[in-house]
Amino acid sequence: MSSLQRELPFIETCGLSRQYRVGPAEIHALRDVNLRVEKGQFVAVLGVSGSGKSTLLHMLGGLDTPDEGEIWVEQQDLTALNRSQRTVYRRSTVGFIFQSYYLIASLTALENVALALTFQGVYGGERRRRAVESLERVGLGHRAAHRPTELSGGEQQRVAIARAIVHGPRLLLADEPTGNLDRATAAEVVALLRQIHDQLGTTVVMVTHDEEMAARVADRVLRLRDGRLEPEGNRGP
Amino acid sequence: MRALKIAGMAIQGLRRSPLRVTLTTLGVTFAAGALVTMVALALGVQRQVETPFRALALLNNIDVRPEEAHGTERPRPLNDEALAEIEKIPGVAAAYPDAHVKNIHVRHNGKEATAIGLAMPNEAALLGISQELLLAGHLFDEDDPNEVILGPDVVSHLGFKSAQEAIGKEITIEVRGLAPEGGAEFKYTSKELPLKIVGVYQAPAILGKNAQNGLFLPVQIMKQVPGMYMESALNMLESGGDPKAAGYASATVRVRDPKDLDAVETRIRGMGFHTQAILAKLQDMRRYFFAVQVLLTVVGTIALTIAALGIVNTLLMAVLERYQEIGLYKAIGASDGDLFILFLTEAGIIGLLGGLSGIALGWLMSFGMEALATHFAHRQGISGRLDLFAFPLWLLAASIGFAIVVSVVAGIYPALRAARVDPIRALRSH
Repeated sequence: MSSLQRELPFIETCGLSRQYRVGPAEIHALRDVNLRVEKGQFVAVLGVSGSGKSTLLHMLGGLDTPDEGEIWVEQQDLTALNRSQRTVYRRSTVGFIFQSYYLIASLTALENVALALTFQGVYGGERRRRAVESLERVGLGHRAAHRPTELSGGEQQRVAIARAIVHGPRLLLADEPTGNLDRATAAEVVALLRQIHDQLGTTVVMVTHDEEMAARVADRVLRLRDGRLEPEGNRGP
Repeated sequence: MRALKIAGMAIQGLRRSPLRVTLTTLGVTFAAGALVTMVALALGVQRQVETPFRALALLNNIDVRPEEAHGTERPRPLNDEALAEIEKIPGVAAAYPDAHVKNIHVRHNGKEATAIGLAMPNEAALLGISQELLLAGHLFDEDDPNEVILGPDVVSHLGFKSAQEAIGKEITIEVRGLAPEGGAEFKYTSKELPLKIVGVYQAPAILGKNAQNGLFLPVQIMKQVPGMYMESALNMLESGGDPKAAGYASATVRVRDPKDLDAVETRIRGMGFHTQAILAKLQDMRRYFFAVQVLLTVVGTIALTIAALGIVNTLLMAVLERYQEIGLYKAIGASDGDLFILFLTEAGIIGLLGGLSGIALGWLMSFGMEALATHFAHRQGISGRLDLFAFPLWLLAASIGFAIVVSVVAGIYPALRAARVDPIRALRSH
């Protein structure tokens, strides 16, 4: 107990396990995952699809709960939180970025970003000011009034990044953020993530299957195989 | 505040599928419109029928008639002596003979009209007869008996431009008829009386043409009019020709307070007369109207329920269509409650819009139906516009409220479905 209180890292998971039942078969998405991430680190999680990397990300983001084990983020055990406490955790601490952006087609870029603030309880002029600021940070201030269909894939993902950081989260979780992009655009988006990380000091956990890109951008690269975390060999700069 | 802002997003959600939302809202519109029109019609007809009752304070009235004759025994005559006795019963304000005399000729400035005359007590104002009855002027003055209150058609036949213009003008009425001469003698006579117009009454068009074409005379004047005894002439002959002994065919007894109706009726029956309180008739009528209203409300509610199923359907579709989006909302901080409120508000907005447009539709339908009814009434010789629908504020408020409540209740299940969406599954779906 005293050891936990003394010096907990930003993220620490202990013996994290999760299995799904798909028909008669049981799929072990995660097996005994022990992970430590220090505050302000940029961590890439590598793995093929089905390796459990998305499940890990969902658990860190408070969207999913493990069958076994604990998840500590900022001194708080997510597994001890109830549904509404996890909502508050997501709202206050986490920003999500997804492979397919998940922008609302009927809303402009600015409205998509501002949407996240509505759930934060930020309204009116403050909401608009912060949404504009966030869009400008991803270099899309001039595209604020455009709808997602009028934006390129890279631009759409940048709007999604603006939405993920607009409320000042301390943990940014990116699930294959470049999976739908060509290599050049992917590099730009990853550079943007790195830039945000450097400027805002946000801790980033990015799931990807692009080994080269992971090595280029992340402080640490972790590998998941069949739900198990492999011993770290590849340390970033 | 938070709930309000989330609710604000509902409009955005509804605009996503305008055609489907419009059709669903139309369902509510027709249901609410049908409900509001039907109840407004029932209320309107009831109001039409009840207004004269209320204005004439008929609810305080008891109709009194002599009993039917059985064999050789003659029933007690309803004469002035009997009326005087009835007036002494505690709670009775007035007892006076009913009379209606046909073919009263009314003249003014060379113009002439023919009207039906009815008796009204001089102390009308004190008996609770309402000023509402009148288009212009006032009720009879107790001290001046030579007054008359005319119907709207009589006023126009006499050449007055408006009801107001007729007030204070002198007219002459001429009545011809049999008058008792003493003994068994009757004489066909004619009598002219100069009278001052003090008021013009209004009668709803639904009561028909005759109601527009009447005049009220003070009871004292009515008693002087020949022909007044026509109805009881046979009765009078039987009694040996003494008008005092013969009595009237019917009389009106007014009580001060409808609470005393039963007690007074019992006393009058004890005197050997037949009685019927008008309140009892009205209550029968009200029971009928209430039954009609309940029936129409049930029909309207069924219509709204069907519309509500449309809302359930539309919102369930929306939850399915926006499945991924709901997952995203949850990932970026929306709570289950936020999503519940969001979809419940969408249902409420459909209800509100449907309720509002339903009222507009109901009003339009009533307009058309009234015009149609007035047209047919004209062909039947009934003049004036038929005022068949009543839209009291409470009916409008209740219709909108009802539409919203039914819609929100319909929204509960879809809203729960939205609240329970598992964000991981939703975000994985494609």
